Amino acid sequence: MIRSRIILLVEDNPDDADLTLAAFEESKTLNEIVIARDGEEALEYLFATGSFAERDRKLMPEVVLLDLKLPKVDGLEVLRRVRADERTRRLPVVVLTSSNEERDIIRSYDLGANSFVQKPVDFGQFMEAARQLGLYWLVLNQLAPARRF
Amino acid sequence: MKPGVLIVDDSLTVRMDLAEAFEIAGLRPVLCATAAEARAALSRGPVDVVILDVLLPDGDGVALLKEIRESASSRSTAVIMLSTEAEVKDRIRGLQTGADEYVGKPYETAFVVARAREFLRARRDSLDDRKRVLVIEDSATFRNELTDALDSAGYVTLTAVSGEEGLYKAADQRPDAIVVDGILPGIDGAIVIRRVRLDAALRGIPCLLLTASEDRNSELRALDAGADAFVWKEEGVALILARLAAVLRGAGSRKLGEEAVSLLGPKTILAVDDSPTYLQELAYALRGEEYDVILARSGEEAIELLAVQSVDCILLDLLMPGLGGEETCRRIKSAQIVREVPLIMLTALEDRSAMIQGLSAGADDYISKSSEFEVLKARVRAQMRRKQFEDENRHIREELLRKEMETAEARAARELAETRAALVDELERKNKELEAFSYSVSHDLRAPLRGIDGFSQILLRDYSEKLDAKGRSHLVRVRAAAQRMGELIDDLLQLSRIGRAELSRTRIDVSRIGHAVLTDLSTNEPDRKVECRVQDDLILDADGQLIKVALENLLGNAWKFTSKVAAAKIEFGAEQRSGGTVYFVRDNGAGFSMGHADKLFAPFQRLHGSAEFPGTGIGLATVHRIVDRHGGQIWAESTVGQGATFYLTISPGRLGGTS
Repeated sequence: MIRSRIILLVEDNPDDADLTLAAFEESKTLNEIVIARDGEEALEYLFATGSFAERDRKLMPEVVLLDLKLPKVDGLEVLRRVRADERTRRLPVVVLTSSNEERDIIRSYDLGANSFVQKPVDFGQFMEAARQLGLYWLVLNQLAPARRF
Repeated sequence: MKPGVLIVDDSLTVRMDLAEAFEIAGLRPVLCATAAEARAALSRGPVDVVILDVLLPDGDGVALLKEIRESASSRSTAVIMLSTEAEVKDRIRGLQTGADEYVGKPYETAFVVARAREFLRARRDSLDDRKRVLVIEDSATFRNELTDALDSAGYVTLTAVSGEEGLYKAADQRPDAIVVDGILPGIDGAIVIRRVRLDAALRGIPCLLLTASEDRNSELRALDAGADAFVWKEEGVALILARLAAVLRGAGSRKLGEEAVSLLGPKTILAVDDSPTYLQELAYALRGEEYDVILARSGEEAIELLAVQSVDCILLDLLMPGLGGEETCRRIKSAQIVREVPLIMLTALEDRSAMIQGLSAGADDYISKSSEFEVLKARVRAQMRRKQFEDENRHIREELLRKEMETAEARAARELAETRAALVDELERKNKELEAFSYSVSHDLRAPLRGIDGFSQILLRDYSEKLDAKGRSHLVRVRAAAQRMGELIDDLLQLSRIGRAELSRTRIDVSRIGHAVLTDLSTNEPDRKVECRVQDDLILDADGQLIKVALENLLGNAWKFTSKVAAAKIEFGAEQRSGGTVYFVRDNGAGFSMGHADKLFAPFQRLHGSAEFPGTGIGLATVHRIVDRHGGQIWAESTVGQGATFYLTISPGRLGGTS
């Protein structure tokens, strides 16, 4: 199957968004990165509604990098709706957040997150994390076959 | 077999008199004239009651009593001592040695037999504690109805169809209570009760009078006769049972205090006078009123006697050799247990000053010896009545006070519970607030730091050529500061989580945790050469995750503070001390001055400069909290430049228990 090479980054903090882009750039992950600024935008993109109604809905991101603390619809709710929908239920979702609170980790896995990564404060470590995420989710990881509609 | 009564008295008259009375009462008398005969009789087998004269031809009755009390087979045998009144010292000795009753000669045969049967009954009652109720009722229908109700309420019922039969059965069976119909063939209910009240052995039995008529006079007559309660038959069997239970409760509680028992039993009067002639006259006059009279010859004797026997009234001569009436009175009135007993001062002097003297010493009344005995008896009655009123009033006051106390206690308990609930709520609210706070810290404080660090790094990377060396160095310091703040946030969050986390104790191998932590440390700094020693098989019931955090901090510190030592050594082990196992982490690093030891475990306290040894100053506070959560203690010893040793204890706790 054709891989879309798209990463959906759900991140409301522009600094964090730029740093994540910089980290991927630095680690030579040359994928298309779509940024959603809040949970609602993320859901609109994934389900091709609202401002993303015109996008090719057959192209799903290979991985969603999801922050938890988001305006409008928070990360855990996004995760819940993604897992509840037949089209996105097998989509890899990596929770990428500042917190390492135990209850966030547990709630995320309970709702079906594939991975939980804490954003390091140290930019050097952050870049390393981005590099490894790119390598793992975009190269090594095998996606579930797309459903035919 | 009939119960055996051993009668020990050298007087043939006494022996024959008592033997006859006991035989009639259905007991088996064994007669002895001397102490030697009594010992021989006792060695043949135990008896149930012993009647013992104090003065025996071959020895002292009290000495024999002592032998009886010391022998295992007769220790619990009831003993009634007989003695002439003059020997008040013997009465004291007898009661102190363990006599159950002390009867003065000349004795009343019926009283001695009644007391003996009472002791026998008390023993039987201890085997069967069901209350026995005598029902005296001529109507078969009502008798059966009442008997059935009593039986099903758990009483043992005895019945009689006439007053005469009832009195006979009462004397014979000694029931715990009597229920008697007011109208009976022959003698009626009120007379039955009056006779019961006149009988020394029966007067303590609670009596309940039943009547068919709603006649106010019959109630008065019944109460006048001495009934404890009065019930109309129309009110039904259930009410009779309730009243019966109430009077039995009253009788039971009366038996608890000896003073109270004397309200129903024969009143005891202690007469104190140095003149034997006057004492004998007094005793004669008072015994005619059915009082039990104890005679004492001096104030000293009286005080000694009061220590072992309670009395209902004291007659005290003012002029006596030795202690004297005034001082005796003062001492009696200053003793807690006898101060309430009415005391009447007697004197031959007919003058005001003697009267004032006596009353000021605390006497309740004053009477001239020259007065007629009738006057004296009236005064005695009046004093005892007053005492009874006071007792009753005090009882009522105490009851009221007790109720008030109960109410107050209940209110206090309720208020306490409410306060506690409010505090728990408040605590939960604060905990939630704290949790929300640290959650925000965890999320929101990190993000700006990442921005500071990240953009500084990008600046250094992409714009390096546009900055001079100083500019680059500033940026490096910005990054270092951001990272240090990140560490602080992490450590603070850990500290706060340890305070909130549930403690889950399991059996853990601390040696293995120690090894793992040290392995991590040397993996991170492979160039360091540190001699690490971990004692094997340190097993502990504790929260494994928290203990790991504690060891990471302690061993991490040891690792850090030995970084400037040539031959670094770190040791983790345990030693047994009197208080239990003490774990320790020892290093030969920089150490610290004991003068600062009090700051060691407080957060943000650092004993070394950051340039010398980096750190947040939260690690030991975290360890302290972990040890605290385990109910243990932590302390340290160190010399600057010689290394440091941290000691900690973990108190044993329930496995899996949380706190």
